[in-house]
Amino acid sequence: MRIKTLTMLCGLSISLMFSPLSFAQEAAVTLFAQLPDWSGLWSMMGGTIFDRSTQTGSGGAIDHGVREHPPYTPEYEKIYMKHLALRDIDRYPDVITNCGVPVGFPRILNLPDAYEFVVRPDIFYIVTENGPNTMRVYTDGRKLPAKEDTWGTYTGVSVGHWEGDTLVWETIGLKGSRDNDSILDRTGLILSDQARITTRMRKVNENTLEARMVIEDPKALTKPWNVTKQFRKSKKPGLFMYDYGCAENQRNPVDSATGKTLILGADGKPVN
Amino acid sequence: MKSIHRVVFAAVAITFASIAIQPVLAHHSGAGFSRETIQLSGTVKEFQFRNPHSWIQVNVPDPSGKTVEWSIEWGSPNQLGREGIRPSSFTPGMSITMKVHPMANGSPVGGFVGAKMSDGKTIGKWDAE
Repeated sequence: MRIKTLTMLCGLSISLMFSPLSFAQEAAVTLFAQLPDWSGLWSMMGGTIFDRSTQTGSGGAIDHGVREHPPYTPEYEKIYMKHLALRDIDRYPDVITNCGVPVGFPRILNLPDAYEFVVRPDIFYIVTENGPNTMRVYTDGRKLPAKEDTWGTYTGVSVGHWEGDTLVWETIGLKGSRDNDSILDRTGLILSDQARITTRMRKVNENTLEARMVIEDPKALTKPWNVTKQFRKSKKPGLFMYDYGCAENQRNPVDSATGKTLILGADGKPVN
Repeated sequence: MKSIHRVVFAAVAITFASIAIQPVLAHHSGAGFSRETIQLSGTVKEFQFRNPHSWIQVNVPDPSGKTVEWSIEWGSPNQLGREGIRPSSFTPGMSITMKVHPMANGSPVGGFVGAKMSDGKTIGKWDAE
């Protein structure tokens, strides 16, 4: 009798294991089906000026005289002016040039090279080839942690939810300019550790994703700063993302004494 | 042995130069490179198809007959790989003519613009500048 019961239980277990879909799997598949398709390889449109809508001066972020105009407080405008002055004499090295720190948020939405935007029911990932860098936005219903439970990181802490086909997320816990190693672009734009960013991301057409950010920062900004970044989907099918070992063949170290980005010649010695 | 050919292009090239360098040198600024375009002929020594930037080492004879090793900086292998460039695109011993944005201080280093192989095949922005 006992053996018969055990045999029945084993049979039931095996049939459950091999049933097409368990209840949990079915629920997950249903949730996936409700999400938009953001698959493929994407690239940021435009150059790496973070806020092109307020740019003055012509060229890219490294070109002398180029700047943006966030609604900075006098204190942060002064810091930005200092960065611009160093950039204009080629002594404002990009903090990522030494291959040691992530770009953080919101700069992760301001990078060259390929992007993947991975949509799941419980989480959204931004994966960038450049860096490489990863950002996580939790969409499983959790709340943002209390301020005292964050301590300032490059990418901060993000939670989000879906409003139709739009992903809305909030980010706090950014380290900002605390350690002088987190910038928004090579003009030297920065935020403080008080920044709170609300991002709304959606497909505006089949091949374009748009991220609209509202940046609030009581220490650095006098009012909310609106910045929009767009991404174009590659039309080439079957492209691969590759790893990006920033330190693999590093021939552009920063001279810590001068802030100058060096260029190493054939003999491994600086030529500039 | 071919000699160095320096061809300085007109103001149009200056405009293209800033556009050509910036997206390619994503890892650091293009400071140090001139916006003029020069042409070099020589022999490929090594193609460093590695991140964050690729470098092409080319032996170029100077006007006195002495060989100078130039370092030509290009994009990341990831970017270039998706555009069809492979480690075998430049092999040691290959004769080549290149267009580059040289260092402003005269050092034998430059930013890649384009290349023309001995069979006439071109790579990069050879026709643009």
